[in-house]
Amino acid sequence: MFLAAFTSSGPREVSPDATLLLRLLHKDVSAFEQLYDRHSRLVYGLVLRILQQASTSEEVVQDVFLQLWRNADQYDAARGPFVPWLCTMARNRALDHLRLKSERQRRREDQPEELPSVIVAPDYEKALDEKRRAERVRALMASLTPQQKKAIELAYFEGLSHSEIAAALKEPLGTVKSWIRNGLLRLKEGLQATT
Amino acid sequence: MKNCDQFRDLIEAYALGALDPEDRAAVEAHLATGCADCAKAVEEARWLVCQLAYTAPEAAPSDMLKGRLMQTVRAEAQSQAKPHVIPGKSVVPFWLWAGVAALLVFSIYSAWNTRRLIGEIREANERAAALNIERQKIEEQLADAKRQATIMMDPASHKIALWGEHAHPETLEAKWHSQLGVCIMGEKVPMPSANHVLQVWFIPKKEGAPPMPSAMVRPDANGKLMLYVSAPPESMDNTKAIAITEEPAGGSGWPTTPILWSGNVT
Repeated sequence: MFLAAFTSSGPREVSPDATLLLRLLHKDVSAFEQLYDRHSRLVYGLVLRILQQASTSEEVVQDVFLQLWRNADQYDAARGPFVPWLCTMARNRALDHLRLKSERQRRREDQPEELPSVIVAPDYEKALDEKRRAERVRALMASLTPQQKKAIELAYFEGLSHSEIAAALKEPLGTVKSWIRNGLLRLKEGLQATT
Repeated sequence: MKNCDQFRDLIEAYALGALDPEDRAAVEAHLATGCADCAKAVEEARWLVCQLAYTAPEAAPSDMLKGRLMQTVRAEAQSQAKPHVIPGKSVVPFWLWAGVAALLVFSIYSAWNTRRLIGEIREANERAAALNIERQKIEEQLADAKRQATIMMDPASHKIALWGEHAHPETLEAKWHSQLGVCIMGEKVPMPSANHVLQVWFIPKKEGAPPMPSAMVRPDANGKLMLYVSAPPESMDNTKAIAITEEPAGGSGWPTTPILWSGNVT
């Protein structure tokens, strides 16, 4: 499964992450350290943005990377890039932490804790280094209307649903749905246009 | 396709996790039908949502976090590099377990055998004690027989004829040895009534003194009577006569029936 990333033909080249993950399967401590150095700032920044507390955020980041160390074989490099998968795992963990202290826990009570499914890159996606990708996404987000940006951030970083966002912003439910959908579509179009 | 269209508006919010429970259930039900177009749309939307992670300001975790992580990872890597021990299986070799088991069995057998031997020793001691008592009894009987023989044979023994009264014409004979006691013997002696015995009395010379109760006997099936009195009165001089009566089994403290045999000592 993992080796498929090295044998499949296609436009995408083998990423440094794929090489490191292959070594991680053989419990290569050095490979783990390199993966941590490459992505810990992104993961920690995401978790800290969600939890707003440094000590708890470090606990979650530690859990995420230990999960990666212990269950590297559960990541299917053949089907999708590594960083979105890692960020999805980190976001899920952070939101779970957030919900433990929140009444909104009911929303995901029925969802068992597990590793996220593989995030498949769309056809228009091209391999970019993390720095360029981050700059581009931030620029596109900045181009959204404040309402679109606010609604998307409440959903992504705080795990709120449509109706919860509507209540928080005191706006009609349909309006909130439109903000989120239109904002995400604009983001998608921007990514397609610039890749 | 019209059916898909109503879900397409929800796909991005579904990937974002922002759908309310009813909408989420509806999308998942539709995806469960195997709609390939919508499944592909969901995959793209998930990737899109993942890009939002880049909008969070990057921040550096503490060096301590990396230190803790690397320490844990190195420890786990080292433990996995060691020879693999199958969980649940002991590192103690089989032969050692077999030795322990044999020792355990031997210990149990030894304890059981010791207990058995102790029981046998106790039973042997009890048998020995019983035999000792029996031996002492036989020795006493033998000593009595020797004393009786001496009394009968010793010329120093004083011979006393006990004459029958009433319906007992048979004459019994007593021999009194001043140191060994008195023997009384006779033949064709009538059997006393059931639950009765013949009891010997020593009648004192002193006027008004009560008769002294002594030994009891029943003749054998042939009417032969042999009685040994090991503790007669200390002095024959103070004894007027010897008498025999029939008394209830166990004897009496005072004669309750007429005298059957009697004889003067002097």
